[in-house]
Amino acid sequence: MKQTPDEKKIQEKMQPGSITLEGFLGNDNRHYHEIIEEDLHLLNNLGITKEQIADKLQDITDQAFESYDGIITLENGAIVEYVSVRGKVVSPFSGQKPSPKGFVKYYDPQRKISISWCPLNIQMIREFGFFEGKGSPNRLDPDLIFKLFFA
Amino acid sequence: MIILVLQTTGIMMVMGGVLAALLVIAERYLADYGECNIDINGKRQEKVKGGSSLLSSLNSRNIYLASACGGRGSCGFCKCKVIEGGGPLLPTEKPFLSPEEISENIRLSCQVKIKKDIKIELPEAIFNIRKFKAKVSSIRDYTHDIKELTLDLKDSSTINFKAGQYIQLHSARYGKVKQSVSRAYSISSNQSSTDLVQVIIRLVPKGICTTWVHEYLKEGDDVEFTGPYGDFYIRDTDKDIIFIAGGSGMAPIKSMLEWLLEINSPRKIFYFFGARCKEDLYLTEYLYEFENKLADFEYHPVLSQPGEEDKWQGKTGYITPYLKDVIRDSKNTEAYLCGSPGMINSVSKGLKEYGISESDIFYDSF
Repeated sequence: MKQTPDEKKIQEKMQPGSITLEGFLGNDNRHYHEIIEEDLHLLNNLGITKEQIADKLQDITDQAFESYDGIITLENGAIVEYVSVRGKVVSPFSGQKPSPKGFVKYYDPQRKISISWCPLNIQMIREFGFFEGKGSPNRLDPDLIFKLFFA
Repeated sequence: MIILVLQTTGIMMVMGGVLAALLVIAERYLADYGECNIDINGKRQEKVKGGSSLLSSLNSRNIYLASACGGRGSCGFCKCKVIEGGGPLLPTEKPFLSPEEISENIRLSCQVKIKKDIKIELPEAIFNIRKFKAKVSSIRDYTHDIKELTLDLKDSSTINFKAGQYIQLHSARYGKVKQSVSRAYSISSNQSSTDLVQVIIRLVPKGICTTWVHEYLKEGDDVEFTGPYGDFYIRDTDKDIIFIAGGSGMAPIKSMLEWLLEINSPRKIFYFFGARCKEDLYLTEYLYEFENKLADFEYHPVLSQPGEEDKWQGKTGYITPYLKDVIRDSKNTEAYLCGSPGMINSVSKGLKEYGISESDIFYDSF
């Protein structure tokens, strides 16, 4: 696949050990463009937008952050914890502001499903529709997000 | 017809790509900007070879601006004022600059390429920042995820810093990590010990630098760092002091307390240290000893979720409610905070509600 120098840089920054220890692509051998395309296609079929997902995750993140690293219970019974860490993490995409390093742990006791995300996930979803590659420890599967928050 | 259009478009795209590549090659290998002058604050002149970034050119003259990404334009730390000769503002800089900063000609020094003489302004404190080589003389475990490193400076170097300031430690390559990264860590040692620095580092899950420190770095290893950075230090007033910290935020507060002890400070001082449970507490006995050494000091560890096995009889819950009991005069009190963004966010709100002025609340915005 032909890549611009900027795209090549982004793909490099997504490799393990560049920005994060695990990288952003997991065991997904596809170019990040293809990962984005497939996930956006899936969102389209599900009838939601990347912005709606980013807004939902941001709303939960804000509520948890306000709790001063405590544990909160949402109206739907989900248990949420914001684990804040000093420092910022940069985006593999160009021209983005660094995000706080903390992360959110979300547990839905009814469905017995746990997921976690960090502010960088929200930024990458909102701006680019990038949910990370399959097998990446921080991938937010759009199907699962839909089931948890929009079904 | 369609095939013809596609062919023409394809040819033009290839030609465009070739031209762009030629321009990059020409810029890299053929452009000669000669010797350029960096005028710093109208007082200091540094001659450098043109063609490199302002950040790396300053580094080559032993002037170190903070940078966590090694000049890749992704951390936004290396800001400086460019008065003349910086060229146009680049799209890669805009996300990191506020409208006020843009109007004041603040730039990201890693994105400014030196092509001609340039005039810049730097805070005087920058000139105290140097690059140091050091040997790890000891690694001490404080908790399951917090370690203290002692770094002995090599080559008879000495460092002058104010208690509360930080260094940027450069990690080595290891495992999948193919490049060094720089991360900021507050100095925990006393500012009068100028031949070493100590830092307290908490393991961040999957963090590149903290994983290196916790799992790869050994006593006897050589490391490099730059510093000192930051304006988080004790203001020279006679106001009461409230220190509030959590986790590795202990580091600058420990350094500040050791300094206050050294100068026999008569100020009234409280220190609240927040942790989840007893196993997250460290240096407890050491800190209680300051109650007997400093003129007027109280140490208060506060556990947010003590377990039954902790048999904890001290303060519990969040720190903020306890603060109003120790504020004698809100106009005459300073607060120094170091910890997670969640803690800083919550505690600063509380302090302001209790009447402490925003200008008397100090913290490092890492």
